[in-house]
Amino acid sequence: MKKAFLLLAILSPTLIFAATSTQLEGGFKLGPAIILLTILVLFILVGIVFRAKDTNDFFAAGRKISKVGSGMAIASNWMSAASFLGMAALMYGTGYHGLSYVIGWTGGYVLLLILMAGQIRKYGKYTAADFIGDRFYSKPLRIAGAVVAILISIAYCVGQFGGIGLLFKWILGIEYGIAVVIGGSVVLTYTLISGMLGVTKNMQIQYVIIIISFLIPLFLLTYKFDYFWLLPQIGYGSVVSDIVKGIPVSDVNNLVNSFGNDFAITPSPEYAMPWDPSSGQTFFQFMAISFSLMVGTAGLPHVIQRFYVVPKVRDARWSVVWGLFFICILYWSAPVYSALGTILSAHPEVGKLSKDAIVVYTAQLGNINPLVVGLLAAGGVSAAFSTVSGLLVAGASAFSHDLYVKVINPSCSPAKQLMMARLATVLMAIIVSLIALLKLALIGQLVAVAFSLAGCTIFPLFLLGIWWSGSNRTGATWGLIVGSAISLLAIIYFVAGKFDVILPAHYFINYWLGAWYFAWIGAPLAILTNIIVSNFTEETPIEIKKFLVEQVHS
Amino acid sequence: MENNDNPEEKDYNISFFKPTTPLARFNRNLILVLFTVWAVAIFGFQILLRIVETPTPEKAYINYELVWDNIKSDKASDADKQVFIKSALSVLGKITIDPNDRLFLSNSVNKLTLELVPETEKNAFVSKIDDFKNSDFGEPDYQNLKNGLSVASAEYIGVNPNTLEAKLIPFELVTANSTNLDPKAVESIMAKYLIHNQSFITDYIFLGFPFHYFYTAVFLLILFVGLCLYYCIATDIAMKKLGIVED
Repeated sequence: MKKAFLLLAILSPTLIFAATSTQLEGGFKLGPAIILLTILVLFILVGIVFRAKDTNDFFAAGRKISKVGSGMAIASNWMSAASFLGMAALMYGTGYHGLSYVIGWTGGYVLLLILMAGQIRKYGKYTAADFIGDRFYSKPLRIAGAVVAILISIAYCVGQFGGIGLLFKWILGIEYGIAVVIGGSVVLTYTLISGMLGVTKNMQIQYVIIIISFLIPLFLLTYKFDYFWLLPQIGYGSVVSDIVKGIPVSDVNNLVNSFGNDFAITPSPEYAMPWDPSSGQTFFQFMAISFSLMVGTAGLPHVIQRFYVVPKVRDARWSVVWGLFFICILYWSAPVYSALGTILSAHPEVGKLSKDAIVVYTAQLGNINPLVVGLLAAGGVSAAFSTVSGLLVAGASAFSHDLYVKVINPSCSPAKQLMMARLATVLMAIIVSLIALLKLALIGQLVAVAFSLAGCTIFPLFLLGIWWSGSNRTGATWGLIVGSAISLLAIIYFVAGKFDVILPAHYFINYWLGAWYFAWIGAPLAILTNIIVSNFTEETPIEIKKFLVEQVHS
Repeated sequence: MENNDNPEEKDYNISFFKPTTPLARFNRNLILVLFTVWAVAIFGFQILLRIVETPTPEKAYINYELVWDNIKSDKASDADKQVFIKSALSVLGKITIDPNDRLFLSNSVNKLTLELVPETEKNAFVSKIDDFKNSDFGEPDYQNLKNGLSVASAEYIGVNPNTLEAKLIPFELVTANSTNLDPKAVESIMAKYLIHNQSFITDYIFLGFPFHYFYTAVFLLILFVGLCLYYCIATDIAMKKLGIVED
């Protein structure tokens, strides 16, 4: 109640200024800019009030977060620019194929819950590398785990910085490159100020802002264009069918987009039909993406890390249910933007739109009040911010806790450790900004690279580490080598392709080991390698086995 | 193995498939059931879709096929050309069309539309295209030029001026950069955009959705939440039964 009042009080003055954003792109938009600024100030204030006081706070929020709160934080942490902007973009561009991302990014939570959540909390470690180093009794594996966690965080952040850049560009009317730098600096500042505790509190507020800003335009759009608006997540079924059948000009009932074009479209079954030839995507790619995103979900360090912040093992399980439910509210809604955006942008006068901004463009094309469009854009920034902060903390934890304290300088003071965490955060933000400036792919696709990487490396180690005491250090090492090699191969070919460098078997590798779905083969091979090598090498030490039996599975 | 830590020779091996503790046994059974439901619901359904699908052409493709041989061999009547243009506009109205594909089809539409214009009216029509090409959205004359070209084109291609085809054609005439018709390109473009993988599952409408779309975009997410909820409730009950108190 207090939070809602605070939010309303801060937002109300913006009503005066907001009605200036009428262009799809172009100049500075005062209303949305003020809304964005207000929200960012709110985040920083919350970050200051709940800032980390020691390393326990910084890494795991002092384990004071409730299961619903943790669920909201999971959802906010998860609902990134890829969810907010990227999913609708993928469906807008490739139709039914885009749903592989929707089910991939939600179905993975079932795996995470039934295979890992409670067990990870029972194991009682702070970070993914902590678990790997301890379970496989190996310092080199701890280092490798930390490095992989940092790489995953960077890969994931690149897509988020892309989204932040896009929205800052839209709101401020500035160049994409400058927008990335400004947006990146702001998210870095408040992550540094707050750490995980502030971040977790922020995430709960961010969730509310994200979901409200995402849903309001949907109700307005479905109402305006005469669809079942009380539940747009179901009401848009008729939009999909209308796209498939087409809407003739004679049926539009004076409904027009902001360009004055009729709400009409030629029959477009390719929007809804599976693996349509015009999308350029195949059945194999649909399945591979779904699978890769699912195993990646269960292997993402910043997601796994969220289970450490709940007080009890039971809370770790229930927080997944809450988190998934909160996430699904957004995931049921994102396709609505894509469907309405398809009709509203069908006229050639609208021109080719940037897919990643289709959510905002749809609201604009639907002639929604500019204040609401501004809030929507600010919600998109919040989505990217909430995820970036969690990722930066996860990456910083991997560096300062797993590399610096456990390997480089075990006798360092907590103050020094915190300083190293902050230094790592700054370094990561700089690296991510530089990569984001290259605009390598769509936001959703960039994020999917991080998922495949996690699916090939961290997921097999956690899966076997928890469920099979026979998995030993040598098996884990070889499994990680195989998973990493496949990841490296896929990423090298992807990056080479982006710079027009044709490597041997270019098309074969890019199709079968696509950058957003190489885990379809990488994860099973890493698991198989781990099992085979473990069976032929030394046994796992008895104390590890004992710990698994007595602490994790009892 | 270091047996010093295990003087009672107790079996401390843990394997998902050979659980040694009551909790691990319970977990294995529950996970196997949930995992099976999960995997079949996701991947089984998509495989089913794949099995039952058949390439299904749109009406525009069927019409195009009826006249295509005549168009290719330069024996097309005016009516054939009009049918082809309407079919091509069905592709050109799609938002997913690739810019290169669009150019090939726009050139074909441009060529055939100009062939439909009587010689006496050709110069006036071409200057209408040029005028519209040289105007920008938002300029005072823009709407008039667009509407003028649309009405004139509608008459030649045999459609009502208040149809989507009539509204689309001015943009294709100004997009075209030649009057070439590349038969190979046209054939592959028309097949690419007008034939879709359909079946009784995609044709059945449920709550307004094509059923498969509802299943994947809405139902599967409900199922995921339901599976997670069931897991948590079942685990809570099992914990009580087994007398396990978690910290």
